[in-house]
Amino acid sequence: MAEIVFAAGAPHAPGLIGLLEAAPADVKDIVVSTYRNLASAMVSAKADVLIVFANDHLANSRIRAYPDFLIGMANEHRGPFEWFKPWIGCEDYTVKGAPEIAAALFNGMTRRGIRMFAQTENLKFDDNISVPVQLTRLAELGIPMVPVLQNCTVPPIPDQHRCYAVGEALGDFIRNDLPADMRVALLGSGGLSHEPGGARYYFIDEAFDRWFLDLVASGDHATLLKELTLEKMEAAGSGGTSELLSWVVVLGAIGSKPGKNFGYTVHRDFKCGVGAVLWDMDANLPKRRAA
Amino acid sequence: MGLEKFDPALAVHDLIQDLKWSVELRAEFAANEAAVLDCYPLRQDERRAIETRNFLALYDMGLHPYLGGQLARLIFGNEAGKGATVAVNKLVESLQGKGSVA
Repeated sequence: MAEIVFAAGAPHAPGLIGLLEAAPADVKDIVVSTYRNLASAMVSAKADVLIVFANDHLANSRIRAYPDFLIGMANEHRGPFEWFKPWIGCEDYTVKGAPEIAAALFNGMTRRGIRMFAQTENLKFDDNISVPVQLTRLAELGIPMVPVLQNCTVPPIPDQHRCYAVGEALGDFIRNDLPADMRVALLGSGGLSHEPGGARYYFIDEAFDRWFLDLVASGDHATLLKELTLEKMEAAGSGGTSELLSWVVVLGAIGSKPGKNFGYTVHRDFKCGVGAVLWDMDANLPKRRAA
Repeated sequence: MGLEKFDPALAVHDLIQDLKWSVELRAEFAANEAAVLDCYPLRQDERRAIETRNFLALYDMGLHPYLGGQLARLIFGNEAGKGATVAVNKLVESLQGKGSVA
């Protein structure tokens, strides 16, 4: 029986790379220490593979033929896609893929009634994958990755209930379909509050972010599913905050677990609240999922 | 201003996605914008809004805001802390009421 040994949610704002040097020292410290802690936890967990759920940002598919979930099956994942490179301000990277696990994921989710799409060609990665890959130095860690790019912004958007159900199917797939003793890491990449392309582009909803971080760290999934509505996320930053649905997929996979964050920070130039949560996979909380 | 007016049928979505996916098309757009616009079945008001950099009008027609942000970068600049910041500021200026920011 394979095991989820690492689970986290973290933002991927492009400024976390390209604008990091110009940020105040206290902001920079939180960004650097957050991703350093996540990388260290991934190494300590002896993860064999990292599955990342992240907003696709309309980078790979036409807006009128838009998949809710797109799995990257490539042998290796190269990024960032050319046009996004100066915007993110990051170097090229190549991360090992895990095509057999990606194929098993595609088949496993299909068998569980979850429609996903999959592509063997290299996907176009923007900040969604590039930021966590670069800030955790995933290529150096040598952990293979399966990216799953998610629709967090094109209506109709799979809501918190649907994403949690997808996560539950993902957890079942990991525990029952993957090889025994395989150690799996999960990352939900996205958020916190932000409004990319909106009239409130610089808006960061600090109250929402702190509420969200505390809630997901509490393990109270019943409240999460009741209160983390699309409407609430839209109010906290239209078209961007709903990336937190990638965290919800991870939470569905792991069930109720306590988590910890490594600090929260707001920096206007990032145009996004910054904070991450690492869940304790050794903890066993009573199941508190909504009926 | 969110997704409530979103109209995925607008051709401007294809224009923006093609531009970000193609170095050659971006070069052509920079050299002869009208010729590139001719290749897309844009509504008259849609084309006029692109030409006058009126993001507010495009959003009112139904442009997806995420692609609106990318259109601003395709026009005003795409480099972190430089052109990309100009693009954000121009976009916000338009959306907060100015309309055309040509």
